[in-house]
Amino acid sequence: MLRRTTVAAAALLAVGALLLTACSGGSTPDASPTVVTPDPDAVVNVRLVSEPSNLDIRETAGAALDQILIDNVYQGLVSRTPDQKIEPELASDYKVSPDGLTYTFTLRDGVTFHNGSPLTVDDVVWSLEQVKSTASYSDSDRLARVQSIAANGKDVVLTLSQPDSSLLWNLTGRAGLVLKKDDTTDRKTKANGTGPYKLTSWKQGDSITFDRNDAYWGDKAKVKEVVFSYIPDNQAALNGALAHELDVVTGFDANLKDQVEANGDFTLVLGKSTDKGTLAMNSTKAPLSDKRVRQAIRQAIDHNAIVKALGAGQTLNGPIPELDPGYADLSSTAPFDPAAAKKLLADAGVKDFTLTLTIPSFYGTTVSQILVSNLNDVGITLKVKAVEFPTWLNDVYMNKNYDLSFVLHTEARDFENWANPNYYYTYNNPEVQKLYQQSLSATDEQTSADLLAQAAKIVADDQAADWLYNGASIVAVGTNVSGFPSVNVNERINLAELAKSKG
Amino acid sequence: MIRYALTRLALLVLGLFVASALIFLTLRILPGDVAQLIAGIDAGPAQVAAIRERLGLAEPLAVQYLSWIGGVLRGDLGQSLLTGAPVAAQLAEKAQVTIPLGLMAMTVALLIALPFGVLSAVRRGRPDGTALSVGAQTVAAVPVVWAGMMLVLVFAVWLGWLPAQGFPRAGWSDPASAVRALLLPAITIGVVEGAMLMRFVRSATLQATGEDFVRTAAAKGLTRTQALIRHGLPTVGLSIITVLGLQVAGIIVGAVVIEQLFSLPGIGRMLVEDVGKRDLLKVQGELLVLTGFVLVVGFVVDLIHHLIDPRQREAE
Repeated sequence: MLRRTTVAAAALLAVGALLLTACSGGSTPDASPTVVTPDPDAVVNVRLVSEPSNLDIRETAGAALDQILIDNVYQGLVSRTPDQKIEPELASDYKVSPDGLTYTFTLRDGVTFHNGSPLTVDDVVWSLEQVKSTASYSDSDRLARVQSIAANGKDVVLTLSQPDSSLLWNLTGRAGLVLKKDDTTDRKTKANGTGPYKLTSWKQGDSITFDRNDAYWGDKAKVKEVVFSYIPDNQAALNGALAHELDVVTGFDANLKDQVEANGDFTLVLGKSTDKGTLAMNSTKAPLSDKRVRQAIRQAIDHNAIVKALGAGQTLNGPIPELDPGYADLSSTAPFDPAAAKKLLADAGVKDFTLTLTIPSFYGTTVSQILVSNLNDVGITLKVKAVEFPTWLNDVYMNKNYDLSFVLHTEARDFENWANPNYYYTYNNPEVQKLYQQSLSATDEQTSADLLAQAAKIVADDQAADWLYNGASIVAVGTNVSGFPSVNVNERINLAELAKSKG
Repeated sequence: MIRYALTRLALLVLGLFVASALIFLTLRILPGDVAQLIAGIDAGPAQVAAIRERLGLAEPLAVQYLSWIGGVLRGDLGQSLLTGAPVAAQLAEKAQVTIPLGLMAMTVALLIALPFGVLSAVRRGRPDGTALSVGAQTVAAVPVVWAGMMLVLVFAVWLGWLPAQGFPRAGWSDPASAVRALLLPAITIGVVEGAMLMRFVRSATLQATGEDFVRTAAAKGLTRTQALIRHGLPTVGLSIITVLGLQVAGIIVGAVVIEQLFSLPGIGRMLVEDVGKRDLLKVQGELLVLTGFVLVVGFVVDLIHHLIDPRQREAE
């Protein structure tokens, strides 16, 4: 009986496979419009992977909030362009004094919040002061070098205790968001910002909807409504795309490129990102406390194979990705060389030992499988411990109880964690900490970037961790949609240019 | 009868209390801290501690349990730690997806299981009867996820008749779309559950055919089928009610999987996400309601059984 059941199930599977081929190869693609004529009444459905747990952008961490709320709903004095440059947003202009201690922002005229109240300099001063003085707010310490925040006519003046080369960048993020003073809006479930989109509904466990803000001070949004559907399951997302229920699918598996592009309705767009696939090594524990062992691990790993298996992205080999200041090619610090790795392990006097890799389960098994096989080749047995994210936070992040750990760090410009000996990386090098502080205090960008590059080189030479790959933003975009961002979409999705044509 | 019902009811209440304590304690064993999740991986210990304090997580466990269960006794399931939204309201909202889904799945399962189950029993040993029971074996062995994918491929992607995922944002104020959204997932659960149920109906029917009273009826001049339908099937119905009661739990489990696959905003998906976010108060409320539901269904099934089946009353 069992035999018959198996045969029947196999037959069904074969039918399924045939159906898959039929629907991916069968239909002839229509000529896709080369120029999109925007339909002002368009509704764009976007698939996102992880839903925010609540909407309070001041207190709740997580890229899921930054991703959609900043720029579209909430705005700051300055913002980032897609190529990571800083430009004025709620400020019409800004000046930095030559000593780097005074920042003067001139507030834009005619800006209103979504509830209709006008934006004033008081709102800006209040917002920044709240962040600075409330330790439980995210990124509060990013304003640590700001000494005073004051209104001066239409200007807002920030006076610093010492120069801070990261200040403008930080003001493009959470620390710089401008909210209405003494607003009573329940920020956990609603939002009252100044951006081109209003947050109109949040159906928890399902979707968030934005409507065009018709009173927006700048160029109005080109679509009427954007619906973000939170679909963790990749299969459901693929089905939704193939059945034309979604216009844009983010977080796609690059290996499904052919399937999603086959019917001609979608194009897979690959963009750069600051996602760093980081293999943290606990250097407080033997044998990882030995630099030779850490270097051996790095040299045993075939980074090109990882990038190939993921289907997108590039190798990284250092703590700073190409999009961030201070990037340099550090591949020479630990080139792929299993023989050298074996020798290093022999020199360190360790062989045939076992390490545990703690990895949040939602990352799948691609990376860990390659690591297991690569490390096995040089005589290290790798046990993979896939855990839920809260468990990872508890064991690895809080208690630093791990050997090796993999996490995709998505944040842009987060080198500071290598200068923080209390961070879970367990990396403690006073020289790096000093260089980082110097780079913060530099008054010109180039000096600051050079100092970061120096620090990054030391971190890589110390074999503090391994950087397995620099991820790519992978987005499948409907051929009738234009202007969807392609760079770093795990961090930010600025919808300013988004348009969709009829049909 | 009343004594029986009261004893059962007391057991039900006791069961709920035991379940509440178990749910509370097992969730506390899970590693991970909602305060740390809220604060994220760039937060200092002070920020996390402040959030813990605000959420009431710094209190001793006994205090937390008593305040929770006290609220439940007053009809208050508490609030989400993350959003502050009342748990009961969230459950009611998600139930609008899961309960219709369950009912539709159950209907599909019965529509398959009853006629084909009886038929395959009556036609036992003949080619069509064998084909039916082999078919049921096969379908019952199919994983729900795979069945769902196949149905989506055919009816959503290929033919374009039904939506592949999601639930209309307008919900039940747009009944046609809501039903369409639930059709594929309900059929998916229904077919697999129906195939399992069908095997049960078949064996129950076969057993009934062998019962003395059916044979007696046949001896009195009814055909075998007539005897089975008039005297056998009522006892089959009785045992099916019991199995259906058990199926309720199965359908809830099925819903957890199917709501992910079809991206439906129901109780199953909410539960998975809330566990992942360590929204403990919310998970407690959800699990307690689900457990209560299953226990109540069991209670009702027992009562019906007791009421209909004369043999049980005599045994008392």
